[in-house]
Formats: sequence, C-alpha cells, structure tokens
Amino acid sequence: MIKIQQEDFDINKLINRIRSCDSGCIVSFIGTVREHSRGKEVTRMSLEVYEELALSELKKITEEASEKYSLNGVDIVHRFGDLLVGDNIVYIGVSAGHREQGFGGCRYIIDELKKRVPIWKKEYTEDGEEWVEGEKIE
Amino acid sequence: MKIKIKYYASFKEFTNKDEEFLDLEEGMTLAEIRNYVKDIYEKIGRQEQVLVALNGNFKPLDTVVTDGDILSFFPPVSGG
Repeated sequence: MIKIQQEDFDINKLINRIRSCDSGCIVSFIGTVREHSRGKEVTRMSLEVYEELALSELKKITEEASEKYSLNGVDIVHRFGDLLVGDNIVYIGVSAGHREQGFGGCRYIIDELKKRVPIWKKEYTEDGEEWVEGEKIE
Repeated sequence: MKIKIKYYASFKEFTNKDEEFLDLEEGMTLAEIRNYVKDIYEKIGRQEQVLVALNGNFKPLDTVVTDGDILSFFPPVSGG
C-alpha cells in the first residue's frame, strides 16, 4: 500500500496490516517534525507534493526494495499539508523473513525517498519561512 | 507547439505561478526547454539543480517534447 494523504495515520493499525505468517520481522520507520533545524527553533512545517510523480517513484522504490531485500510486504504513507512539531510525516513499514532484510529494505526505502520522491518541506521559524534544501541528485 | 509548464515548491514562488502555457518551436528537447525557463526566471537560473519531469515521469533530457505535453519544474526534493 502506498498512500499520500493530509491526515495522520495510526501506527498500530499499520503495523498490524503488514504482519504476516511467513515473516520473521517487521521493521518500521516513522519520520516526525523536529523542533530544531539548522540552529533555529521550528514552530511548524508545511509539505508540498507533486502527487502523480511521487506515487510512481514510491512504487518503483517499493519494487526495487522488495526485489533487493526479498521483502514480503511494504507499506508507505507520506503526509502533506500543515504539520506541527512532533507530528508524523512519513511511515514506512516492511515485513521480511529475517532482520537483515527488514532493516536493509526499510533503510533503502527512506534513503531513496529522500533523494527521488517529489515532496518538499517548508519550515517556519522565528526568522520566517524557508524551504528545506534537498540533496542534489545525479 | 503549445506546452504546459507546472512549478513546484520554491519555483512556484520564484515565478509567482503554479503553471503557465508556453508557445515554443517544434522539436525542442527537455534540456532546451529547461534552459529557456532558466533564462526567463533568473532565480531558477541561479539554482544549482533544476529538475524536470515530462507528463508525470522522469525522462532523459534529450527527449523531444511535443504539442500538448506537460512539463514540471522543481528543486531537489526534501521529503521524508
């Protein structure tokens, strides 16, 4: 399941969704809004998404990770819109036969998401608002 | 040919537009149109990296654009 949505997600429900009898582990990553960034206090954040391309890139990343790490299941939920400090931004859950595959697959997905999926963060601090600069890609 | 250009994130603020239509010569590639847009908007021109998608997909920059295509311009991503 791959979803891009404004509303928050229920972590327990998501974890139970990916549970399977042929998996020996579930590994999850939850990204949240940090209070400090680049030496400034963040009051809130907004996220913009190019949904069509984001969904197709997430699908590709899921396929790559599933093949590379023999994952049994992958779920990704990424939020957009206005968020407050401590709010959930992204959930990635994977199930796999063994922990090496689970950790590797989850790490691969978040690393690739941060390079390739067209979503942008804007942070609001006491000095004003600023787009978070993304990594240059090859 | 007439193409639609969409802007995202900081590029929307640099151009003060979500989208616009451009009339361009037939046969232009993604790279040529990217240079054209960088010339029009100085702030986009100054960016270290300007990403472009064609009809909702990443394509090689030598891809020839055709009438009615939709191009999207945006900076490096920062989600997650």
